[in-house]
Amino acid sequence: MPQLILVLFVATLSMGAFTSCKSNKKLAREKEAAAYAAKVEQSKNDLTAMLNGTTSWTLDEQTKRLDTIKSYNIDDQDVKDLIVKVENKLTDAKAAAARKTEEDRLRKEEATKKKAEQARFSNIDRNLESIAKATSYDEANQRIEAALHLFATPEIPVLMIISQAEGFNDYDRPTTISKFLNYLKDRRIYYYRVESVKKDSHGKITELELIKK
Amino acid sequence: MKNLIYSTLFIIGIMMVSPVSAQENLSPERKQAVDSLALEKVRDLSKYITIIGSKDTPWSEANRVIDRAEELFMHGSEIGVSSLLRPQIKNYSIRQYFNRLIRLNYNKVEIEWYKIDYVSDLQRQPDGTYVGVITVFQKFNGYDKEGRLIYHDTTKKDITVYVKKKKTQINGQLINFWDVMLGDMRVKETSK
Repeated sequence: MPQLILVLFVATLSMGAFTSCKSNKKLAREKEAAAYAAKVEQSKNDLTAMLNGTTSWTLDEQTKRLDTIKSYNIDDQDVKDLIVKVENKLTDAKAAAARKTEEDRLRKEEATKKKAEQARFSNIDRNLESIAKATSYDEANQRIEAALHLFATPEIPVLMIISQAEGFNDYDRPTTISKFLNYLKDRRIYYYRVESVKKDSHGKITELELIKK
Repeated sequence: MKNLIYSTLFIIGIMMVSPVSAQENLSPERKQAVDSLALEKVRDLSKYITIIGSKDTPWSEANRVIDRAEELFMHGSEIGVSSLLRPQIKNYSIRQYFNRLIRLNYNKVEIEWYKIDYVSDLQRQPDGTYVGVITVFQKFNGYDKEGRLIYHDTTKKDITVYVKKKKTQINGQLINFWDVMLGDMRVKETSK
């Protein structure tokens, strides 16, 4: 009789242990499934935010997040479709950012070049301004004579930019350097600066472009 | 020879001037630049009239300035002249007006323009020309040999301005420019 009781006791203990083990595994599986579902959901949310541009992440942060999501190898068609779309969007955004960086670089380079050129033209500006500031016709005429030596002929064209809005150069009616120098003498004001010059092989100016200050 | 080449190229360029398509709509920024350009042309005229009228201006300079002043106007334009000594207003061709101005029978002449501004903004016409009216006030003082002020008046004048976009080729490069031309200058009021 005691032997029977002992057998029953051992059997009960064994069954209890088996049931408990089975329950733990199930719980673990359920936990794993829930974690996976959460990961899928979070991935979808993040990808959708990146696609709609509603995230505050930088381009680099978005790229890192996309790489992380791809590393999950999520077997979900929605996620796969979103990954393709976000990948395309980030590729375009990176190309646009690279273009903008290059444009900014070129603009800065152009501005530096322009500044250097304007410094080069300051001598011409000073000559033109001195005519406008002459206090008599004789003085102005002498300065005109001197200034004309900088130019290939008294008839070289002078272009005057009045506006550079929207990437357009709007000009006043073109004139000749001879007329323009006399205009400065008459108006007694020089409200331009030299924008560009063209010179011949002798270093004489063959075209003068001014811009209104 | 080189002078001749440059001059020829420039003259050919100017001769090739032609109007640009009338379809362009100007942004406010560009329109403002065009408005200012037209005002500046009237200020140029103001300065030219002062120079031509002044007895201190050397004869050769005054005649040169008459040529420049005439270039500001459209062909066939007229300038109205009034006097407190007669009721009627006389209209002269541009050249006639300046030729009279340079020969005014005073020992000293002072002409000053002020309050130069648009009375009617530049409005785009169907052919693409912008047309506006600028008002000026002219103060005229005429003195005799003894330096006495013998005539003085203030005249309000309206000047019609025409602005058209044109293109020309200069040294092989196509340049779009705004051509401002002044039209008739009419007397509106004359007072002491």
